[in-house]
Amino acid sequence: MAISTSTTVSLPIPSSRREMGWGERVQRALTHDRTLGYLFLFPAILVIVGLVAYPFASAIVMTFQAKTAGAPGRYIGLENYRELFSSEQFLRTVMNTVVYTAVGVGVKFLLGLSMALVLNQERFCNNLFRSFLLVPWAIPTVMSALNWRWIFDDASGLINNVLVRLNLISETISWLSDPNLAMLSVIVVVVWQGTPFFTMSFLAGLQAIPKELYEAAEIDGASVLQQFTNITLPRLHPIFVTATMLSAILTSSAIQFVLILTNGGPADKTMIFSVLSYHLALGGAQRLGMGAAVSLIFFPVLVVFIVFLTRRMLREKGE
Amino acid sequence: MARKMTTQRRALKGLGNGVLVVMILWTAIPFYWMIVTSLKYDKEIYGYEATLIPQRPTMANYATVFRETPYLLYLRNSVAVAVGSTILSMIIAVLGAYAIARLNFPGRALLARSLVFTYLVPTSLLFIPMFALMSMLRLTDSLHGLIIAYLGFDVPFCTWLLMGYFKSVPVELEEAARVDGCNRVGALLRVVLPMSLPALVVVTFFSFTHAWNEFLYAYVFTSTTSARTVTTGLVNFMSQDVFFWGPLMASTVMSALPPVLMFLVFQRWVVKGLTLGGVKG
Repeated sequence: MAISTSTTVSLPIPSSRREMGWGERVQRALTHDRTLGYLFLFPAILVIVGLVAYPFASAIVMTFQAKTAGAPGRYIGLENYRELFSSEQFLRTVMNTVVYTAVGVGVKFLLGLSMALVLNQERFCNNLFRSFLLVPWAIPTVMSALNWRWIFDDASGLINNVLVRLNLISETISWLSDPNLAMLSVIVVVVWQGTPFFTMSFLAGLQAIPKELYEAAEIDGASVLQQFTNITLPRLHPIFVTATMLSAILTSSAIQFVLILTNGGPADKTMIFSVLSYHLALGGAQRLGMGAAVSLIFFPVLVVFIVFLTRRMLREKGE
Repeated sequence: MARKMTTQRRALKGLGNGVLVVMILWTAIPFYWMIVTSLKYDKEIYGYEATLIPQRPTMANYATVFRETPYLLYLRNSVAVAVGSTILSMIIAVLGAYAIARLNFPGRALLARSLVFTYLVPTSLLFIPMFALMSMLRLTDSLHGLIIAYLGFDVPFCTWLLMGYFKSVPVELEEAARVDGCNRVGALLRVVLPMSLPALVVVTFFSFTHAWNEFLYAYVFTSTTSARTVTTGLVNFMSQDVFFWGPLMASTVMSALPPVLMFLVFQRWVVKGLTLGGVKG
């Protein structure tokens, strides 16, 4: 990044006739926006460059290397990518990631929208309900994942416990290790944890719609459904787009749910790219280059979302 | 016409109440199970005598957590990392945001853009090179290493959030202060910051809970007990014993409590701050 080069603080040469002391020069310099601006932003630039830009660039370099931790990498060209694309595990991971993200975000969206609409109605104690429904978002995701792993437990988990009591099943169901159910179970957890984010965003959007619009529509005889499709939906549209994109970035890259619930199993049925990348890079074989390649293959898709969101988030802040 | 409208509204209200009840159950049941498990003896947790409502509630699991596991150490580590990264990111973000919001210099817009951009790059793309970097700098297995690593997320987010808020503080107030002899730093400390208190609360909430909840970096950079935080510590418990759900749920309840309490206290501001810049999807 070229930004870092422009940060050297150059003190302007004073034009006054008499010699100025160091303290005075610094004082003078600090009244200039330019000097002060770079000085104030220097730590932030250091963070961006050191903790995001540099690691990101070195990830790209790594994908062309055979590299283990602590040892310098050996250049092997596109070998990592070639191996990935011919690996069945990787292709399955791509499919899984797409399904996991699309279904997870889709369900969160729909549930979040219904929750927001319900909470936007007037009701006794509504604030209390709202606070409560948002709590899953505030719980550390690791704690939610651990809790759900216990709920899904084969022998004594809540779900099997209740189903057996009600005589609905005779043998307990392996929610997390049945190849047909594992992905579904993981998505349930993702939805439970992530719905409040959509609820919060949509509710804020709903509350920003002027009441007069609905009153006018009512007078014109518009039905509730017509009001919803002609006023509510178009007004919420910008929030729909932003929330969905943000959630898609974060859902697809979150590692803890799958790592804790299934660790990618059974037979890679729930393997998503962040988990595969972790396994390849740090799960014994220490193939850092391969691991980096897995996560970077998805970057072109993410970058479209990121660029779009960056623009929108800055517009929001009047930049 | 009007009558039709009210019946429609009433039907919707009824439907809404129904949905609300389902949603509350869906949200509450996992919490119930977590708390109830932490209060049961093993006999009521596993096997044929397992119960849905504890017959003889006990705090034994909580005692076990403190007596037989390094949970207190994990707790201490989490507090240290969360406080450290919050203070550091707060200082860096306040200065950066003030510069972008108020000072005029070339490259300002580009810097604002790169800040938001870096905030949106997920850590799952960065953890491998970050692990290599941390190993090189000998910052693995260290709380300092975690504090530094978390700045990569906290600083861009906090700067973005504060930037918008600082812009909303009237420039005239600041100019008045400067006429009275305040320099830029004085104006920032005495005028802009006191007027941005809600934003500072949100920023503190986000940095603190982010550090408290963070898993991937903590998991990858730490391999010894001494530097484990609560999240990685609990995941580590999971792989140790067979009959561990009682104590594990007890420690889960305790670890979830601080961010939940913070959220409930600061909720109004947090929801406002989150309208666009959500942390977790």
